[in-house]
Amino acid sequence: MSNGPQSKAALPSPASARFGAPPGRPESGDGLVALLMMLPAGILFSLFYLWPFLHGFWLSLHNWDGFSAPVWAGAANYLRLMHDAIFLGALRNNLIFVVAVVVLKNGLGLGLALLLNRAIVGRTFFRAAAFIPVTMSFVAVGLLWSWIYNPVFGLLNAGLDAVGLGMLKQSWLGDASIALYSIIVVDVWKWLGFHAVIYLAGLQTIPAELYESATMDGAGPTRRFWHITLPLLMPIVFINTILGLSGAFVRNFDIVYVLTKGGPNHASEVVLTYMMTKAFQDGAMSYAAAMGYVLFLIVGLASVGLLAVMRRRQMAI
Amino acid sequence: MTAPAIAPSNRAAPLRRNAWLEALRERGPLELLGLYAALAVVLLQTIYPLVWVLFGSLKTKPELINNVWGPPAGLQFGNYADAWRIAEMGSRILNSVFVTGAALAILIAAATPCAYALARLRFRGRNVITGVVVAAMLVPPQVMAIPLFLVARDLGLINNRLGVAAIYAATSLPLSVFILRSFFLTLPADLEDAARVDGAGRLAILIHIMLPLIRPGVALVTIFGFIEIWNDFFLAFLLLRDKAVQTIPLGLVSFFQQYDSLWNLYFAALTITTLPVIVVFVAMQRQFIAGLTAGAVKG
Repeated sequence: MSNGPQSKAALPSPASARFGAPPGRPESGDGLVALLMMLPAGILFSLFYLWPFLHGFWLSLHNWDGFSAPVWAGAANYLRLMHDAIFLGALRNNLIFVVAVVVLKNGLGLGLALLLNRAIVGRTFFRAAAFIPVTMSFVAVGLLWSWIYNPVFGLLNAGLDAVGLGMLKQSWLGDASIALYSIIVVDVWKWLGFHAVIYLAGLQTIPAELYESATMDGAGPTRRFWHITLPLLMPIVFINTILGLSGAFVRNFDIVYVLTKGGPNHASEVVLTYMMTKAFQDGAMSYAAAMGYVLFLIVGLASVGLLAVMRRRQMAI
Repeated sequence: MTAPAIAPSNRAAPLRRNAWLEALRERGPLELLGLYAALAVVLLQTIYPLVWVLFGSLKTKPELINNVWGPPAGLQFGNYADAWRIAEMGSRILNSVFVTGAALAILIAAATPCAYALARLRFRGRNVITGVVVAAMLVPPQVMAIPLFLVARDLGLINNRLGVAAIYAATSLPLSVFILRSFFLTLPADLEDAARVDGAGRLAILIHIMLPLIRPGVALVTIFGFIEIWNDFFLAFLLLRDKAVQTIPLGLVSFFQQYDSLWNLYFAALTITTLPVIVVFVAMQRQFIAGLTAGAVKG
């Protein structure tokens, strides 16, 4: 969708692209009707989106405990963040989390989709089964895995014992060096089916004739994958990357809170868990608000960067 | 209709009796074996943990430790009654139904006319507003949790289920408007013009002519919104502080934290809250997955 006035909206968009701009009718008497139709959404948006966003930024430039009058502080909160070892650790964990889950969800999701695509019998069944964790809440998934990781009766340690790998048993969530990675596994487990289903739908749009003629030309399965499947799937790779990226930055509070609350000793802390602790346990409202904007800046830059790459490659989605 | 095509399940031809034979001829026995072995592993890692929860919910506490893997020796249905009572499931479920239902109703009622206006009406500032909608999709509500909490507090919406529903609707608004707008854009203009010639007003056109045609779009927005709001913990944790108004995810977490060792009851509580959703999903998974992939893939 690199032409037409809609190209600004280069996000995963159903079907809009092909049809370009709305049909132009010369009349311009729609102003009042349009205003009335947009009013409910406008009120909701202003009250609970626009205003908090602006007000929070103003707040982050002040010192405020939530009760007394805010005192102007300029960039002090942001400068303090740059020297806050716990915040920097949380930011680093966030980045590890994002990179790991995006790579794993894409790689494993595509792998699973290729398997599903080859299954002639029972594809719908396996696809539904793989999708089930997506329908579960983060809380349910988190509680489930906190039992799987449980050192006393958890499945994982019991499983390692059963196959004679007892020496690999761990305190999966209690060991500072692996807690973050244990959480990452859970997030990938929950979302794998979602990304696989999107890849599968993408695979099914690739015309079978392409494979047939490539096979006639003597291309084996590996070459067919690299020269047909992957190039044609690139838009889907981008969609999955964007979905995974924004999700991993800001959807990790639930799962971290349920599994470790950021512990042990901040080892699995992410920005959102630290933000909530600062705001509601220490009452540092404006300091916590500033964290939100640092996170927003990073997510925003990453998304805009990805979209720019997509646009440059003239990717039609 | 021409509107956003549902993702094709075209090659999933109706299952014939000789489907296995056909598969065997096309793939060869060795490849087929490897394929289904790999799928069985996927199935096992997805389903077994859930079956394990179901088993655990019917065991006694000592049995949980002595018999980690297998099915329960006797069925302890009492676990369910205890979990229901101690975790106050009844009121949590009602709260979740109320908040999610109200939020989705507000969301659809606000997003649909807005999306229609942005797609179909001509007025000054339309491109600016569309730009704001797109920009807002890049601002996840989680990053402004603190100011959102303050706004809700100032408006007296903390612990107010209807108020929190309105906030949920607002957080889902940009994506929903964007999706619905794309659906409206695919509808041919003549349709509407014909109705206008007949003298129908804009609102009448929207409700009687356009809305039935974009039902797949409304379904998609509802599905996205439902998963998001029904399962949400973060905003509920932020805004629903009173026990009496808490939703299911909050109830599960506080039950888990409050009673440190009632493991078999946790399994029961988890089954109560998870199983119905899974059953509904399995029953309508075709439409569900088709709706989900329609937005992402076809375009």
